[in-house]
Amino acid sequence: MSGEILFQADNISKTFGGLKAVDNVSFALRAGIVTTLVGPNGAGKTTLFNAMTGHLVPDQGAVTFLGKSILGLPRWKVARLGIGRTFQDLKLFSHMTVLENVTTATESGSWLWQTGGRASKAARIERIERALAATQLQRRRDTRAVDLSYAERKFLSIARIMASGARLWLLDEPASGLDRSSYDRFLTVLRNEVTSGVTICIIEHNLDIVQSISDRIAFLDQGKLLAEGDPKTILSDPALAAIYFGERA
Amino acid sequence: MTTYIINLAILIGINAILAVTLNFILGYAGIFSLAHAIFFGIGAYTAAIAAMKFGADFAVATAAGMVISGVISLALALPALRVRGEYFVAASLGLQMLAVTVFSEWKSVTGGIGGLIGIPPARLFGFDVSEPVLFLGLTIACLAVILIIIRALVRSSFGRSLKAIRDDETAASALGKNVALLKTLAVMVSSSFAAVAGSLFTFYLSFINVESFVLEVSVQIIAMVIIGGTATLLGPVIGAVIVLLLPALLTYLPYLPPTEIGSIQQMIYGLAMVLLMIFRPSGLWGYGSDSQKRGEP
Repeated sequence: MSGEILFQADNISKTFGGLKAVDNVSFALRAGIVTTLVGPNGAGKTTLFNAMTGHLVPDQGAVTFLGKSILGLPRWKVARLGIGRTFQDLKLFSHMTVLENVTTATESGSWLWQTGGRASKAARIERIERALAATQLQRRRDTRAVDLSYAERKFLSIARIMASGARLWLLDEPASGLDRSSYDRFLTVLRNEVTSGVTICIIEHNLDIVQSISDRIAFLDQGKLLAEGDPKTILSDPALAAIYFGERA
Repeated sequence: MTTYIINLAILIGINAILAVTLNFILGYAGIFSLAHAIFFGIGAYTAAIAAMKFGADFAVATAAGMVISGVISLALALPALRVRGEYFVAASLGLQMLAVTVFSEWKSVTGGIGGLIGIPPARLFGFDVSEPVLFLGLTIACLAVILIIIRALVRSSFGRSLKAIRDDETAASALGKNVALLKTLAVMVSSSFAAVAGSLFTFYLSFINVESFVLEVSVQIIAMVIIGGTATLLGPVIGAVIVLLLPALLTYLPYLPPTEIGSIQQMIYGLAMVLLMIFRPSGLWGYGSDSQKRGEP
């Protein structure tokens, strides 16, 4: 399974007014690995995420998931295909409890009830409990999201995507602001999920995290994909380091 | 005196249905509608016409009102719910104004400004239920059924999806929620149940006209929901009791000239709303840790 191309973007561009936020970017996400998007602020990483998940439509280019075009699909349809994402500002359902936040992630049907009968319900409950256990939120299941600590909110955003059953996770700065022990726990959760077959693409600024979790790195700057490859090669490239740390000529 | 209390209780029950059904979209789905009185009116006119022209009993007339109200709500919901909240508020205000004009000008159907008179007494499955005590029982039964259904809906996956949309539409859609469809369904359910209140109102008064379905009524229903507590099951019922009892209680205050009661009532409403928003923004029965302890959904 590992190595199969799960997601493919070809020549994606997106312009806002006069600003080319994403400029002719092509890249692929392979199944069962962690790919990290790195680059300075304004490089176009989040715009690329938005284009990948139907949150905005690229001006040009093709986007495929499991070999089928998802270009122009509404974001709820993209999500139901198995692409999940988190947000920089988390976007939790603040007035719902932890359990409700995670439960609703398992329920994508729009009707008054969920289809699939008892077997489907049992599978959903299992996913919920597994997500709560993996993120150590079982004891906080009846607490509203707004009453959680910052680290717990971060883990809730991961529990939600985990419970959704998404096959491809797009995580926008998921570890920012975490203390050391939460951060270690967070990496363990992600590694376990990758081992169980999930494919992850992360936007991350912290180079320690990038180094410790990435199998591949894509480097963006000013909307362009400058380099893609294994972490060692990308992180040891002095030209890329200069761009990343704002020391370009 | 007993008749007066029963009359008041029936009106409180009817308004509680309106508040509970508005709360379903306002409190649980975050949809702010200024047109709830219109669906109350559609239910009332449909029930009146069904009873007067076709001899329909309460159940049939109410069912007809629910269907027509639900279908007409689609005309508002389908285009307006594809955009963000403030546009829906504007669209619902437009519908409210448009519908009031239709109610007052479509004389052959609604009786125009004069309204419809001579609506037959309420009958249910062959039994006369127009006696005030029986009608109060019917009103309470309708309110109880609607509360039970809404409680079940709110605790279902549908209710969780609505609450998710209320809290964050973008995140809800990123988890596979078809936001426009869910919101449309919610408005349809709310409007259909509001029609039940309209049918009760019609059969109770035996007379309806446009005055009962104007913008002020929509605003008053919103006030009931906010005063009682949005996103709670019983809050809107409490809100309806307070809003309807207040004028009745004011009449017992000494030294108040009867001609001034209306304006004093308005001032008390206004003051109560301001104080409530300052000291208890989630309403008297508002959600939060206290309501969770009470087991509210």
